[in-house]
This record gives sequence, structure tokens and C-alpha cells, in this order.
Amino acid sequence: MTRHHPDSLTLMEYSAGNLSEPHALCIRLHLDKCPHCRSRVDTLDSLGAVMMEEQPKVSVSESMFDNILARIASEPVNEPVKPAPPRVSALQKLLGEDLNGLPWKRQLGDVSVLDISEKFPGQKEQVVLQKLAAGGKAPAHTHRGNETTIVLQGAFADQNGVFNQWDFVVLNEQDEHKPVAVGCEDCITLSVLSAPVKLTGAFTRLLNPFIR
Amino acid sequence: MTTLDPKPAKAEGRKDPWSQLLDKVGKHQDREAYHALFEHFGPQIKYYAMANGLASHAEELVQEVFVSIWRRSCLYDWRKAAASTWIFTIARNQRIDMLRKMQRSSAEMLVETEDLWQIPGDNEDEPVTSLHRLMSERRIRESLSHLPEEQTTVIAKVYMENKSHQMVADELDIPLGTVKSRVRLALNKLKVILQDQNV
Repeated sequence: MTRHHPDSLTLMEYSAGNLSEPHALCIRLHLDKCPHCRSRVDTLDSLGAVMMEEQPKVSVSESMFDNILARIASEPVNEPVKPAPPRVSALQKLLGEDLNGLPWKRQLGDVSVLDISEKFPGQKEQVVLQKLAAGGKAPAHTHRGNETTIVLQGAFADQNGVFNQWDFVVLNEQDEHKPVAVGCEDCITLSVLSAPVKLTGAFTRLLNPFIR
Repeated sequence: MTTLDPKPAKAEGRKDPWSQLLDKVGKHQDREAYHALFEHFGPQIKYYAMANGLASHAEELVQEVFVSIWRRSCLYDWRKAAASTWIFTIARNQRIDMLRKMQRSSAEMLVETEDLWQIPGDNEDEPVTSLHRLMSERRIRESLSHLPEEQTTVIAKVYMENKSHQMVADELDIPLGTVKSRVRLALNKLKVILQDQNV
């Protein structure tokens, strides 16, 4: 059961379609497993609809409707766009089925990382997977800028509580923590770093939420 | 969510006219219903395109949205979303899609727009929440008219002009914190934030 949710302002930016792709992915992964936030987004989507309704209207020509009819006339009738589920989630499309089998790069001690930024061409954020071995500890650290994280597997704990699978957390410079992987699985997280981290030294290469 | 007053829900426990029309398109490929939807929502979507900087592609966006409405209408479930909400999310996704395609080749797109931004009702596992969503639409429409203009202005910029909270702050020359508190106040009155409790 997820216990850490995105705040309403972030969900509003999502509903409005203003988040970057990696940030939207974090929200979507959470929504898929959190009926509570799904319902909040439904409400926000309705807010979007009502906002659109309240704005001025710009007339459209009948010829445009004829063009649309011409386009749909060439399509088979009533063929669903998408076959019914099972659908492949965005996560599977990006990373495949086996998170544990990815080409992880061992960092310090119990921490491994994998930079997947290149899977989001044209996006300026750095997108990083991190793995903290089951029972492992990460050194105390803080964060640069805003770092959005979602737990993909296992769980970690710090002084703010336990973060389970599909929990959502945003950390910044003020948040110093010393996460520990809890449970019997390795803890894997997906983090989006608003500004790319400068790789300046052996220790600063290590990333959030486990280490920077 | 526990504070829902059941009384108004009773009156709203039926399809609004646009949802009825969309239902007809989905079930019977009803072109008259489709045309009525075009006349109602087409001008809204065209404004949306122009407000968010796609002016030179405004008609193209309207067309893409309506082709998408036609194709997806058989998946529409009025119990999961009102037509206006459903159409808003399609317009939002088509806008995002258009911008993505302008910025990169399709080979570079590993995930589709709708893998990231969901259209309500697409997920069959989702429980039917008609009571809740009908309540919230009715509530939003009513509450919005009582909000101070400074709050609706900010929300309109976020939803229609697709500006981030930071961009709205820069444009109005007010601190980011002020923008956020206006949004929070508005969402609070619209009962969106109420649902943050017990989180």
C-alpha cells in the first residue's frame, strides 16, 4: 500500500499536461497503483474541462468538419484504437521485464546506479535508476535542486518513514537522510533530477535518494 | 471523499447531454451526434490551441482531436468520465503529442503520450466512480464562479496556456510562493485538496 503521494500542485501540473516526460512517468507509475491519487487527478481533469469551457470560443469552419469526415471515412468502422488490456506499461517499454537484470553500475558499498536519461531524448532532466541492496545502507547525504523519486521495487526507510513500492517522494537541499533498504528485496528507485548533477569528484558522483 | 453529500448526486445520476452524444458516437457511429460534439467542443479546442502557443496549428489540433475522439469513442464509458472531461484529456494529449512529434523523430519515442498521460476510463481495472466524478464536476463548475479572479487567472494560465507555476510567477511578476498559495486556496475551495487529508 502506498503511503507517500504527490501533492495537489504537482498533480495539477500533470493534469494540465505541463510536466516533462520523466516527471509525468513518475506520476503515471504512481497513479496506476494508487486509486486515491487517480481520483484526485480525475477531479483535476474535470477542472481542466471546466476551464476550457469557460474560455472564449474560436469559430471553426464547416469545411473542417468535412475534412474530418473524409479522414474517418477511410477508416474501418468501430475498430478500437487499442486492443483491450493487458497493456505494456511505460516502465516495461523503457526497461523491459527484469529490473534486477539491468546493466547496473556498482557505486559505493551497497549502492548501484544506472543513468537512463538517453531514453528521454530532448528532455533536460537527468533520469537515474538506483538500487540499494537488501538490508544495505547508504551514507548520509543531501540533494541538489528538486529530485523526484518513485520506488519501483522493495522499500527503503529514513527518518521520514518507510517508502514502499510506488511511493512518491520529492527531496531537495534541505533533506539530509541516511536511507536503509528494508525488507528482503533490493530497493530500486527511479529518480528525476531537475538539474543535471555535475560529476566533479569520486564522491559527488553518487546520486540520490541513496547517495549523492 | 467521505464528505460527499449524497443529495445532489441523485439529481446528477444520469448522463449529461454531451456524454449522451459521445455515447451514441461510440456505440452507433452516430455522425449527427459527432457533428453536435464538433460544434460544441471544436471552438473550445481551437481556443485552447491558440492560447497555448499552437496558433499556426490550431485547426490541425482540432482535427487531430476529433479524429482521435472518433477512434476512441468505443472505449468511452460515461460512468468513468463526463464527455467534457474525456475530451479535455484527449485535447491535452494531442497537444503534447503534436509538440513531441515536432521535437523528435518517432524512432526516438520509446513511450507513447498515452503511456504517460492517461485518458480516464482507459484502464479497465479502474473502479467505476461515477458518483464521485459527477459530484466533482458539478462542484467545480459552481465553485469556480465564486473564486477571486486572481485565483482563476492563475489556474487558467496553468491549464490553458500550459505555463508552469514558475512561469506564471515570472509573467505576473509575483513570487512563486504567491502563485502556489493561490492555487492551493483555489483547489481547497474546489475540494481537490480536501482529498490530501489522511495522506
